Amino acid sequence: MNTANALRELLRSGPGFGGVSLLGLLIVVALYVLLVFPLDFGESQWSNPIVWVDNPKAVPPAWTNSLRPEARPLHRVFEGTEPHTVQMARSGPVHSWRFPLNYASSHPPTFLAVTLADVTYAERPPLVLISLKRPDGKQLRIYRHTVRGPREGESGPFSRYGQTPLRVQLSTDEATVTAVQNFLADEFDLRLDGAQIGGRVDRFLFGVPTGDSEEAFAPLTGDYEIIVQAAMREEGDSVGKVRFVVGGAVFGLMGTDSLGRDLARGLLFGVPVALFIGIISALMSTAIGTSLGIASGYLGGRADITIQRISDIVANVPVLPLLIFMLFIVGPSLWMIIVILVIFGWPGLTIQIRSMVLHVRTNQLVEAIQSLGASRRRVMFRHILPQITPYVFAQLIFGAPAAILSEAGLSFLGLGDPSIPTWGQILEAGFRTGGIYLGYWWWIVPPGLCIVITALTFMLLGLGIEPVVNPRLRRSPP
Amino acid sequence: MSLFRPLLVRSLTMVGVFFVVLLMLVLTLGLTGFSDRILAATIGEQLRAERTALAETIRDPDEMEKVLEKRREELEIFYGLRTPWYYRLPRTALRVLTLDLGEARSLRSFDGSNRVFDIVTERVPNSMLLLTTSFIITAIIGIVGGSYLATRQGSWLDRFVSGFAAVSYAIPTWWIGILFILILSIQLRILPSGGMYSTPPPTEPLPRFFDLVSHALLPVITLVLVSFGPSIYSIRTITLNIAQEDHVKIARAKGLPESRVRLRHILRVAAPPIVTGLLFGLAGSLSGSILVETVFNWQGMGRLYYDALAGTPDENVIVALTFIFTLMYVAIRIVLEVLYVFLDPRVRYTD
Repeated sequence: MNTANALRELLRSGPGFGGVSLLGLLIVVALYVLLVFPLDFGESQWSNPIVWVDNPKAVPPAWTNSLRPEARPLHRVFEGTEPHTVQMARSGPVHSWRFPLNYASSHPPTFLAVTLADVTYAERPPLVLISLKRPDGKQLRIYRHTVRGPREGESGPFSRYGQTPLRVQLSTDEATVTAVQNFLADEFDLRLDGAQIGGRVDRFLFGVPTGDSEEAFAPLTGDYEIIVQAAMREEGDSVGKVRFVVGGAVFGLMGTDSLGRDLARGLLFGVPVALFIGIISALMSTAIGTSLGIASGYLGGRADITIQRISDIVANVPVLPLLIFMLFIVGPSLWMIIVILVIFGWPGLTIQIRSMVLHVRTNQLVEAIQSLGASRRRVMFRHILPQITPYVFAQLIFGAPAAILSEAGLSFLGLGDPSIPTWGQILEAGFRTGGIYLGYWWWIVPPGLCIVITALTFMLLGLGIEPVVNPRLRRSPP
Repeated sequence: MSLFRPLLVRSLTMVGVFFVVLLMLVLTLGLTGFSDRILAATIGEQLRAERTALAETIRDPDEMEKVLEKRREELEIFYGLRTPWYYRLPRTALRVLTLDLGEARSLRSFDGSNRVFDIVTERVPNSMLLLTTSFIITAIIGIVGGSYLATRQGSWLDRFVSGFAAVSYAIPTWWIGILFILILSIQLRILPSGGMYSTPPPTEPLPRFFDLVSHALLPVITLVLVSFGPSIYSIRTITLNIAQEDHVKIARAKGLPESRVRLRHILRVAAPPIVTGLLFGLAGSLSGSILVETVFNWQGMGRLYYDALAGTPDENVIVALTFIFTLMYVAIRIVLEVLYVFLDPRVRYTD
């Protein structure tokens, strides 16, 4: 049967079609990830807390809002580089950024944070002011910061916040708390002390008093505006980047974990990793299993007995305890996982291939070639191997899910390669930090589903290919 | 004689497994320098203890250092750190073989002992409880379901089970356990989310037993759920193959009642391969139970792995666990292999 026919037959079967389309999808995603993500994503981003600092912690995906009676606040990030307007004042140019914010949630934001980066000035440091304009027309200044002045012996122009941007969590910032305190006293005639406000700034800024008690505030929905102003002293002074974060209680497509990591990105990165683990381990163990199986079946004699005894023993080793042990000793690395999976992965195939070769070697083609004086190696690899190739191919595909599941299990025990995030590791983090007991399903369910879908893809492919390569298995009409 | 040979071959294979594992343990420990590091740490700890004891009598710091250095030399010779690992490790292997497993760094047994032997062995019954319960349930479901399905070949149920079996191979058991916890324990609060007993545990025997059952329910269901599909399917296929053989046709032609044909002519013949299949399933569920115990905080050997790996890892416990796991597995296998040889008369002549 030629390849085109085989492919057509594969696509005609239910599992075959499912497997091929799922594999196609996975490969597309994997290619996208390889193009878009840096290769050192694990070290430079996933395990780097600075990248995720502005994200809300352990919040569900944004689309869950459509499943609930009242919407939780969305996560909003406003970023500006070039100032929106520049005005000349007596002290110098004033750069301003205005970020419109339509607030529709019936809950206050979870936090407010501001980040300044790449400030340069010639002589005297600029002054940064941030105000919030509310839908009820009230406006208050929530933040005021003078960029750090020149140090002794330092000469201009001065750059500030280049390597480490200035990040301020307004919800707990003392000056902001005081500003809110004054605002409440002036506008609503409420006198609260700092302890009553600290950490809960958001609900006062984005709310109006209900009148039930001093601290009872109902969220005020409508159009807000965040105004960032930087008063410069000289022409040419600049603030490179302004970032204002209104923390949400939902985030992105997949939510975040307890470090604020965007789970969607972690899950995406897991796709090429899982495919890699599955395919490489299956390829290597199939190669070893097939060559030993052919050798054992064709050579016979002492080689056969040795190989069969060894495979009997290796096939019966309880693999997981040994995997745990060896990974623990040599340290967690993805390559080590693959190597160990291969070391224990070949014997089953060897035993099966051997019995097929015993059958094949007696057929007339092989006998004829032997009598023509072909070398043993030639017979094994040029004449026996092609006859069992389809079967080997099916077994190759069945080998991938086992490797993917093993890696996931090991990662779940905390033996995953820390430089390469995998689905198993995401699950492990969710389990170890108690995410499951807090009901963080978005942290637990998707990585598991990804594992199942990827493993299932290979199972379906294998089930679809088996009847194609082994006609005896085709379902006879009842 | 005919019975002796297959028994010998099978037992030798399992003994081979055992020694291969032992060899790999020793080689890994030696080649990676890991055993040197453990020994150095042990010596360091002992020296620290002695330093505090000596500080009572020796006042002069130089004198103290000299005494300690001499003591270090003695200890290094005593522990064999001065000789290469391949002289030292056979002795270690022998020690492990005689179950002299050393002491744990931070883990303790339930009544406070730090001997690794105590810590590991008290967990064995807990693991066995979980493993055997789910194994027996899976075997019963498999045999009953499989022999029933064999009579319904090609029906929608048959196709469904074969699909379900294929899907089972793609599902991580432990993740199903986590889902159960998430849904049944956290959301619906029907069953406990982990542990073996409530806190405080009931003292009366009967309530205590039911408490154990309610805690064991989820892990057992998890283990059974992912293994019963493949089990039914393989038993169905074995039964089907035998049902097509001539001796079954003859039995039917003789007019024997169908129940008798099924029981005596099909199941009896199918029993040996079914047992083999279940045996291989056992290896799988042994691995599965390590992770399921971890998920459900079941105080067995699997959970001990997780505890020993977390934080500052407890090397001795991990080595001992791997060893005892293999020992247990090999012992179970040998017992079952012996049973198998008695069960299948053909083995005695063909092997």
